[in-house]
Amino acid sequence: MTETPNGIFEWIWFIATKYSDLFISGTIITLIIAVSGTILGFILGFITGIAEDSKIRSEDPLPKKIILGFIKGLCRVYVEIFRDTPMIVQAMIIYFGIRMAGVNIDPISAGILVTVLNTGAYMAETVRAGIKSIDIGQREGALALGMSPISTMIHIILLQAFRNIVPEMANTFLTNLKMTSVLNVIGVKELFLQAKTAGGTYYRYFESYLVIAVIYFVLCFVFNKLFNLIEKKMAVKKNYVLAVEYMDNNE
Amino acid sequence: MNNNEKSTENPIGEEILRVEELSKNFGEHQVLRKIDFSVRKGEVICILGSSGSGKSTLLRCINRLETPTFGRVYFHGREVGKSQREINEYRSRVGMVFQSFNLFNNMTVLKNCMEGTRKVLHLPKDEAKSRAITHLKSVGMAPFINAYPEQLSGGQKQRVAIARGLCMNPEVLLFDEPTSALDPEMVGEVLNVMKKLAQTGLTMLIVTHEMGFAHDVASRVLFMDKGYIIEDAPPEKFFTNPDNERTKEFLKRYIKSEKGSENE
Repeated sequence: MTETPNGIFEWIWFIATKYSDLFISGTIITLIIAVSGTILGFILGFITGIAEDSKIRSEDPLPKKIILGFIKGLCRVYVEIFRDTPMIVQAMIIYFGIRMAGVNIDPISAGILVTVLNTGAYMAETVRAGIKSIDIGQREGALALGMSPISTMIHIILLQAFRNIVPEMANTFLTNLKMTSVLNVIGVKELFLQAKTAGGTYYRYFESYLVIAVIYFVLCFVFNKLFNLIEKKMAVKKNYVLAVEYMDNNE
Repeated sequence: MNNNEKSTENPIGEEILRVEELSKNFGEHQVLRKIDFSVRKGEVICILGSSGSGKSTLLRCINRLETPTFGRVYFHGREVGKSQREINEYRSRVGMVFQSFNLFNNMTVLKNCMEGTRKVLHLPKDEAKSRAITHLKSVGMAPFINAYPEQLSGGQKQRVAIARGLCMNPEVLLFDEPTSALDPEMVGEVLNVMKKLAQTGLTMLIVTHEMGFAHDVASRVLFMDKGYIIEDAPPEKFFTNPDNERTKEFLKRYIKSEKGSENE
């Protein structure tokens, strides 16, 4: 027979072990939403950022001008709306909006969708800034070789911009990991909602939230270290040997 | 191989490029006004003129980094079209060397010289590499194939940029003030490379402020003023007996400043 726990530490241990299933499933759902939302959000952000950065040239044919202008306008509106409203409100409107439209979307899918749209809007700005940070000469150098504007964008500009964007991408992922907590308002069973459930039975909210605070902290801490490692790997190697010396050493 | 190239050196061949009534406006400002001239195979043309006379814009219009407001550019007698594909193809045959080098910062010297041949000409890796090394050797940069641009001096960067252009086997190589961003002691090494290239019979169109170079190397000198080409003559005539008053004035000032710097 289990005795009632005494003191705060026993309570924390009690809640953590008794409801470990809830915390584990909550962690998994939080991770699923954060990872998939961030990755898809990056893709959306890259597309939006590149679209926004594209220029309408005066010699383009009229249909191309109109379509490109429309796409650019759409991107602008999307980015502004999602940057200028809180994610918790976006979650409510998107979830209930889709349900009102007659589509029976489950909370997790809606949660991922909100995260994707939110991340996309922020990444679009980051990508645009990243592209802008690359000197125009890089572009002209590639074009002058006969590379197409698209190939230039992918092989020359984005490859270099990517290096500047990576730290911001890591930041966005960590933000998303924490921001998934607001998705409890649409009933996504992520960490925050599970903690609420776990704390409810014994009215031990403080202990329960302390458990997930530790989980959030550990997740973020580990991922942060991981990203730092990746960043270091990606830094340009600064050393080189003259080819003559290099050949001498090998012969 | 060098001997073969030398034998084709002296005769001036067929027309490669022709510019007709080329004009360029930036807003209200007219930078180029009805430019007409042509480039024949083997010619080394230096374009001189004071800053703001439209020299660089002319070069940028020729390879379509700027879109001309009016006028046409013909390449081998065919007008360079507006479609992106045509422009890409045309650019792959007309190389360009920039004042600010524009080497790809994230690539080594070798990769810089292989990017165009790999991505545009789709050469196999081995061939692209051996071509890159050949041209890097010819500009004296072969020992630096593993270096990144930021580790090189300006003169070294420009020599790599020239090698990068040569790797595409261009029919014309455009130079946009290739020595203007260099420290004085590095100007010589780049000009020497260009002089060597001129001797191989490569067709070159060079925007420059290096009068001595134009005098020694050019087969034709164009002088631009306020968006017009006002003088088009072989160097012997250009530097001794130009037709236009404005050219005379420009040359007089140049000779004065040369003497001034020698006295220092």
